[in-house]
Amino acid sequence: MTTIRMILASAAAFALAMSLTSATAQQSKRGQRPPAAAASVAPGNVTQDMLSRAAADANNFLHTNGDYTQKRYHPATQINASNVRRLRPAWIFQTDVKESLETSPIVVNGVMYVTTSFSQVYALNAQTGEQLWYYKQPLGPITTYCCGPNNRGVAVYEDKVYLATLDSKLVALDAKTGSKVWQTDIADPELGYSETMAPTVVKGKVLIGTNGGEYGIRGFVRAYDAKDGKLLWNFDTIPENSVGVWAEKDATGRDMKRNIQAEKDQLAKTGDPYKTLGGGVWQNPAVDLATNRIYFVVGNPSPDLDGSLRPGDNLYTDSLVSLDLDTGKYVCHFQYIAHDVWDLDSVSPPVLVDVRNNSGQLVSGVIHAGKTGHVYVHDRKDCSLIRFSETMVPQENMWTLPTPQGARMLPGANGGVEWSPIAVNPPLGVSYAINLHQPMTYQVQSSPYPNGKLWLGGAFKVIPGEEQAGYIVAVDYNTGKIRWKVKTPQPMIGGILATAGGVVFTGEANGRFRAYDGRNGNVLWTFNAGAGVNAPPSSYMAGGKQYIVVGAGGNVQIDSKRGNAIIAFTLE
Amino acid sequence: MNYPLVPARAGTQGHTGGSSILDSRLRGNERKSCAWALAFTFAAALVPPCWAQSVEEKAQLCAACHGENGIPQQKGTPVIWGQYQGYLYLELRDYKSGARKNDIMSPLAQSLERDDMMALALYFSQKRWPDLQQQSAPPEVAARAVQANVSVGCTGCHQGEGTQPRLAGQTAEYLHQTMMDFRNRVRGNNPGMTDLMLATSEQDIAALAEYMAGLQYLGGQ
Repeated sequence: MTTIRMILASAAAFALAMSLTSATAQQSKRGQRPPAAAASVAPGNVTQDMLSRAAADANNFLHTNGDYTQKRYHPATQINASNVRRLRPAWIFQTDVKESLETSPIVVNGVMYVTTSFSQVYALNAQTGEQLWYYKQPLGPITTYCCGPNNRGVAVYEDKVYLATLDSKLVALDAKTGSKVWQTDIADPELGYSETMAPTVVKGKVLIGTNGGEYGIRGFVRAYDAKDGKLLWNFDTIPENSVGVWAEKDATGRDMKRNIQAEKDQLAKTGDPYKTLGGGVWQNPAVDLATNRIYFVVGNPSPDLDGSLRPGDNLYTDSLVSLDLDTGKYVCHFQYIAHDVWDLDSVSPPVLVDVRNNSGQLVSGVIHAGKTGHVYVHDRKDCSLIRFSETMVPQENMWTLPTPQGARMLPGANGGVEWSPIAVNPPLGVSYAINLHQPMTYQVQSSPYPNGKLWLGGAFKVIPGEEQAGYIVAVDYNTGKIRWKVKTPQPMIGGILATAGGVVFTGEANGRFRAYDGRNGNVLWTFNAGAGVNAPPSSYMAGGKQYIVVGAGGNVQIDSKRGNAIIAFTLE
Repeated sequence: MNYPLVPARAGTQGHTGGSSILDSRLRGNERKSCAWALAFTFAAALVPPCWAQSVEEKAQLCAACHGENGIPQQKGTPVIWGQYQGYLYLELRDYKSGARKNDIMSPLAQSLERDDMMALALYFSQKRWPDLQQQSAPPEVAARAVQANVSVGCTGCHQGEGTQPRLAGQTAEYLHQTMMDFRNRVRGNNPGMTDLMLATSEQDIAALAEYMAGLQYLGGQ
């Protein structure tokens, strides 16, 4: 956008900001449309109070996963199971980047922020889809990342928009103009660090994890000062003593076939492998404001398939971890798979929700949907496991060890719930998760640490010709039972949104974007977007109408058809 | 190979013939390291680029193998014109450190510092990838290559511009040799690639080389 247009856009935005009344949640009655109002296109000031009360804010979509608890349960009811069949496109915005699109659109008082591959940001008029500004991060020559040059979105706070980049930098942009306010280096891309996740901002801190578990990094979660980008605290997801308790069974009680003696011999020879043990954090942490804690999940150890070089449980890879928000100090953890050699790590962001424990009492819980295919339900007081659900995807031969020729096991490494956030409907007591079923063989080869290059310790090979599928599964997290299950033709990756109107929205690799009845999985509405819908949907209100918005740009990891579209829908 | 001692090039800053190799305009340290480098490589009849002042002058030496127009002299030598800056930098870095070994590139890289490597990498990344007139692969070869990609996921990394190299339109011989060198651990600077090539059959590798060499890059870049 030229400078003159930018100035004009800012002036218009400022004038409109002056005429705005209130940012509190206002919903029109179902079926009633208020008179068309001038579009509210001023981002305004995003206060901490707004962020804290986002779960009740039908106007906006202020967090990557809806609110700090990450339920992705939008409170608006204008769109519901009875009328969603009337949903139609309101507008389409086509970005300049035709590549993997994983963004969660953020909406603040009529301004929408979306990101594309290669860390680019667009600000759009949420009612009309018109571009307000565009920011293209100049990326350095070295970008080292897994699974696509992705970006899962921005965070908003006060007058700024926060972005994490593929070359491992944290950037703060002016929310009104898109100009850069500050930039800070996070870690060295030559050593395998990069960012594909959206930040989370809380109490003046920008929280960010890191990509790089496929490159022998030492992972972390950090807090940076939202005002100036200074580092406030760092938590290493890999402690110096990563060995743990030599757990032989996984969280579900199955034997992982570890050779503990061989590992102990290796440990005696080479010492604790913590320096290059991996442990990236792919997704936003959940924030418990009442206890001032954050909860996140840690990804796989490096190298993914070759456990011979990394003896011990490899803490805290494949674990739920909780920290104190102010200090970044460890509070508790629970490891799903110790010494993982299948890359069935924990990546989908955890969700805070009240759950029944095994005595039937309601407790503060945290749930996570794993690549193993289970939904894990914890007590967030101490991270302990209350129950795990029935498996959402086929399982076979768990836990067969990888071999040089290739061993078959289900789930394949693209399995269960990948980075896709889940949604939770608290009144129904169910979580909704999208899953991958992609049969693979696991091949192991040992090689030493390659100084920042790809370090898988073998290869994951998709078995050609064998049927692949996706599953949308509703799980009762108080019993662990599956309530309903829908099979889709391709593995699913992206995200899901539940609304208080009783509808669940999610998209597929073949371009289908659908609305389902949250009670039973019946298909209520379908739209073909023309490219893989592999991104989490958002919802918001503008001009008295509720909108559903989603990215349709395909995905590298499942190689779905690429596109460049952001599509907003509303009732006709 | 026929290789000039000095890059004779009009419009440069006065470098002339071989008699002024240790030009008095060079600073003391450069002269010393140049002398060492010269002495070290003289037996191989190669002259290191350390005394060339500009990127263009350094790059002239590269043309001897990688081609005046970006078309390599020999089929086993890769195209570097239009290759991505990050990748070119990493290879120069790895040649210097010994992570990657080559009789010609390893000594050449010794005289390069990180800034030189980045500058050279940028220089070549801005050139236009040459059209080597390689044929598109026949349908059965293409089908095999595409299937191999589905299995191993080449395009999961080899897409976009960055640190993984462009493969489309590279010389078929270099592509094939490289994949086999990874597979046989002759090339050791990317064990991830070694793992993936070990998981790929030799027939698939041959198909992939032929297929990628024949890929036309629409738009001519």
